[in-house]
Amino acid sequence: MSESSVTKPAPVRRKLSAGPLSTGDKWFFRTTSIAANFAFVLVAFILIFLFIQALPALTSQGLPFVYGTEWNNQQDPIVMQIGPMIWGSLLIGAIGVVFATPLAVSLAYLIVFMLPSRLAKVATTLVDLLAALPSVIIGLWGLFVFSPVASEWGAILNKYLGWVPIFQVKSADNGFGGSPFIAGWIVAIMIVPIITSITREVFSQLDRDLINGALALGGSRFSTFRRVIFPTSAGAVVGGVLLGLGRALGETVAIFYVLQITFNINWGQILEPNGGAVASMILSKFGEATQEEVSGLIAAGLVLFILTLGINFIASIIVNRAQPWRKN
Amino acid sequence: MEEELMSFAPRPAVQPWARVNTGRRIQILLASIVPILLTAAVILVTGLDRNVALMGVFLPLQLIAASAVGFRAFGRRGVGDAALIVFVVFFATFVLVLLASVVFSLVSQGAQAMSWGFFTQNNRYVSNTTSLEYGGVGHAIIGTLLVVGLTTVVTVPLGIAMAIYLTQSQSKTKGIIRTLTQAISGLPSVVAGLFILSIAITLDWQKSGFLGSMALLPLMLPTIARVAEEALRLVPVDLRYAALALGAPNYRAFFQVILPAAKSGLVTAILLGVARIIGETAPLILTVPINNGTSWNLFSGEIMTLPAYVYNYLGSAFVPSQNRAWGGALVLMILVAILFGATRILSRSKSLKSKPTKEKASK
Repeated sequence: MSESSVTKPAPVRRKLSAGPLSTGDKWFFRTTSIAANFAFVLVAFILIFLFIQALPALTSQGLPFVYGTEWNNQQDPIVMQIGPMIWGSLLIGAIGVVFATPLAVSLAYLIVFMLPSRLAKVATTLVDLLAALPSVIIGLWGLFVFSPVASEWGAILNKYLGWVPIFQVKSADNGFGGSPFIAGWIVAIMIVPIITSITREVFSQLDRDLINGALALGGSRFSTFRRVIFPTSAGAVVGGVLLGLGRALGETVAIFYVLQITFNINWGQILEPNGGAVASMILSKFGEATQEEVSGLIAAGLVLFILTLGINFIASIIVNRAQPWRKN
Repeated sequence: MEEELMSFAPRPAVQPWARVNTGRRIQILLASIVPILLTAAVILVTGLDRNVALMGVFLPLQLIAASAVGFRAFGRRGVGDAALIVFVVFFATFVLVLLASVVFSLVSQGAQAMSWGFFTQNNRYVSNTTSLEYGGVGHAIIGTLLVVGLTTVVTVPLGIAMAIYLTQSQSKTKGIIRTLTQAISGLPSVVAGLFILSIAITLDWQKSGFLGSMALLPLMLPTIARVAEEALRLVPVDLRYAALALGAPNYRAFFQVILPAAKSGLVTAILLGVARIIGETAPLILTVPINNGTSWNLFSGEIMTLPAYVYNYLGSAFVPSQNRAWGGALVLMILVAILFGATRILSRSKSLKSKPTKEKASK
């Protein structure tokens, strides 16, 4: 204390970052920052407008809207509840992720660590092509080509593994079409590319010396994968899987064609032709919806939006944290 | 990025210990052929279902065969490696088969509908059972180009300005905006449609092609912003510093130095953005009324788009209508493939150009 009173006070540190000087620059940065902040505006607008239009349905239905199991537009106070749809979306998303993750991680491993670089480029292009397929095309293919094959798979699973609770069905006569199992496969096909691309990027950015070190210590391909590659990239893969889950929950048209949508909760008998998905339900009800029902559908959209935004936000944070080379 | 791909695959010239002798080659060959032959034999003899045979006979046999070879070569360590390779190749092949199935069925089914008239005619006077010689997707192609074109015109400046902000400015909110943009990229397409629909209800607007364009905007924006950001980031920062040091203001440094250098990357961003939204169906169904005649008017009345065309005929119980759906889907796929091919060509020419500059820099 006594010393500081003797010596001169330290000069205030000057800010070194220069602001824009010319008017042109000021406008340049002003315009771009307005554009960038449009991201906030967009999310806010989506929330506000969906909320305004969802309000009538939310007030008339109350909290049972999100967990109730009935949708009846014949009754006088109309009943709109989307519990089975939310649960169905989560179930299909979970099935999709379970199928897609091993496929995507295998593809990424093959592309990064096994194929020669020319073939790896071809494989990357093919995965990107899979990502570029519009969902209506997947829906068309799913309805006419994939569903018959996948219901065969379902019948086989039921026949040989029927003692496992999730593969049980009430009656095999219903056929195995329209089940969450098939919808889960469709969703898996659509999220394989996104999980692959994130996993591939993480794999290819892994420290080469770590892997060579593991190999030099006598590690095999398998032990290197288990002890080196997997632990260092698991975080980013989880982020990619969450991003995929977000996509899966929002998938609309493709599921619409392959899923039997009912308002009975299917607790996990994935081969039963009985399922639900919020997004596809919105599409299926929209055509003949009354004004009240439109409000209910918008409320369902609001729930879906909040759900996917939350998952995507967490996923983005995980992915960004696991990819430090992306930061500037 | 692709240049940095690495591989365990040992280079024979440098790593003599990795040389595979003829005996081992034969073992590997046998391990890859015998399981397939045995499985085929089992199917032929017992008449087992092919799906069951694939999972119940082929996969275990392949695992045993590969493990045996691995064990002979490397002992117990080889077994894990063999299992890893078998599963990786099996899963990757599975995805490849699915993709091939989509493309093959699209081409084989869609080809029935293909003719010059299918591209140029509209569907006026076409009923569910009209044969495919009459009617086509001409009106839907026009509608898609108009709707997607309007979205592109609005979104591209916005997305690129966002990318500029994320790369050029010193602001502290960059991280949160980047994360938010990434989160928007997962916006369910049906929610984008509902969003514009609720604006339309609130302000009492009529449904039109314009609303469809606006519904596609939130879906296109994140793609353009992210790819454009990566394109701008590829421009060496020294170029910008040099321009600034010479006294150029930031905007001139951008327009005269960075923009020309990042041109092909920005075009790629636009193409990928268009490819992202051209097949979006749900938002258009919620916001755009459809018709069977040609319409050039985005701001009032009905207009048909390709995804809506496919959606419309897909649910039909009549075979000619289903074929129309396949035909429309093939046209849509061709458009996506053209966009996709253009991005590949652009990125290839870019990497060709960038190689000599790298060498110069290392000298």
